[in-house]
Amino acid sequence: MREITDEIRQEIKDMIFDYYADECEVDKSEITMESNPTEDLGSDSLMFVELIEMTADKYDLDIKLQSIGKYMLKTPMDTMADVVDMFCKIYQYGNDVVNQ
Amino acid sequence: MYNRAFLFNGIGSKPEKLVEKLTPELKEKYDYYRMEAFSRLGLPTDLNELTSHQAKTAEWLLPFICDRVVYEYYIDQGITPDIGMGYSSGIVIASACLGSIRHEDAHRIIMSHCSMLQKVEESGDKLDMGVIIGFSYDELKELFKDKFSPDELIIGSGNSSFHVMVCGKSEAVAKAVDFCTEEGAIKAFVMKTGTAFHYPVMKDLDEESIGVCKSLDFKTPVCPLMSVFDIVPLETAEQIRHENIINVYTPMRWDLALKKLEELGVKEFIDTSANGAVKKFSRVSRKCKIYTLEDVLSGNYKPHTHTSKKTKPDNAALTYSNSQNSNGGYYYERNYR
Repeated sequence: MREITDEIRQEIKDMIFDYYADECEVDKSEITMESNPTEDLGSDSLMFVELIEMTADKYDLDIKLQSIGKYMLKTPMDTMADVVDMFCKIYQYGNDVVNQ
Repeated sequence: MYNRAFLFNGIGSKPEKLVEKLTPELKEKYDYYRMEAFSRLGLPTDLNELTSHQAKTAEWLLPFICDRVVYEYYIDQGITPDIGMGYSSGIVIASACLGSIRHEDAHRIIMSHCSMLQKVEESGDKLDMGVIIGFSYDELKELFKDKFSPDELIIGSGNSSFHVMVCGKSEAVAKAVDFCTEEGAIKAFVMKTGTAFHYPVMKDLDEESIGVCKSLDFKTPVCPLMSVFDIVPLETAEQIRHENIINVYTPMRWDLALKKLEELGVKEFIDTSANGAVKKFSRVSRKCKIYTLEDVLSGNYKPHTHTSKKTKPDNAALTYSNSQNSNGGYYYERNYR
């Protein structure tokens, strides 16, 4: 397991918000932790895959998409808070995210 | 060797999602082409006045028209292809844009699918297609090994390391979607197409479109078309015809064809879908990049001057000239030299 600091947590949150603001063409200030990525921002699963790839590159993570898919079966990504929380867990646990 | 490849999407995106990405000028051209095509084909502009099968095929025309507008805009900007490649029905629009057939012929091929939909309904078979996100072609092949027979389900296309299309009997497609979801797909869904392009039984069901392809006058394209079936560049009229004929009933390997283009030297991939749909499900290596209409409109992509190998046919070199219609709008006139 990799340690995660408050700074990294904030960095991940900023990265995710910047990404959605850019891809969904919405003002970053309009995105909140309660926003629904699909219904409120109009994001889709292909954008989500790109975010995973981007995160894996940035933090040098070796993560299988199926591990994330299985995690999402247990914990649907209903809000941006869910998305940020999941990416922090990916940072910490890698493929073992499925057991968190 | 090639430097720049044009990628054609064809059917797939919802027309309204494509059109909203066009500039007012491009939208005007799209409206002109759409009205011309619907008028020529005897279709009312209100799709509600058509039978469900007619409406579906008519709706399939719209992404074609949009792709054409974007393609012609690129040409106008001096962005020209060294080679093209079409995803599924994108092969038909690629054939037209690259000058192998007329756009009117491409529309005929699409509209001929109407009888196929009727045949599928009469046969009592329920067919469908599905998309699995989160698995590669090889991973799914392994996963499906003992679960589905080729008679009920096949992998219609490996698109990238995380994107695969499946097709076959509706029940099997739905089962595969559920199975993949349980196995960790990021997303898996049925497309509810009512048909199953790239599924071998389509050879008997879509005889009319195959017949149309056999009867059309194909010409040598202005540049080669990469085959998504045989993974080789196609340069002759007969090769392009064959690609169009087998399109409806042959599984594709989009991922391998992209890789082959890279091996042949392609560095710049140009997505001709207005909304960057091809870029979303395709992946190329880091030394290459897929550019979209948005990149071109925003100036993020500037064409590099380069000398490339081009197939210049003696009898079918394609040029474009601006012409003006009676409403004052511009359209492109195809001239064969």
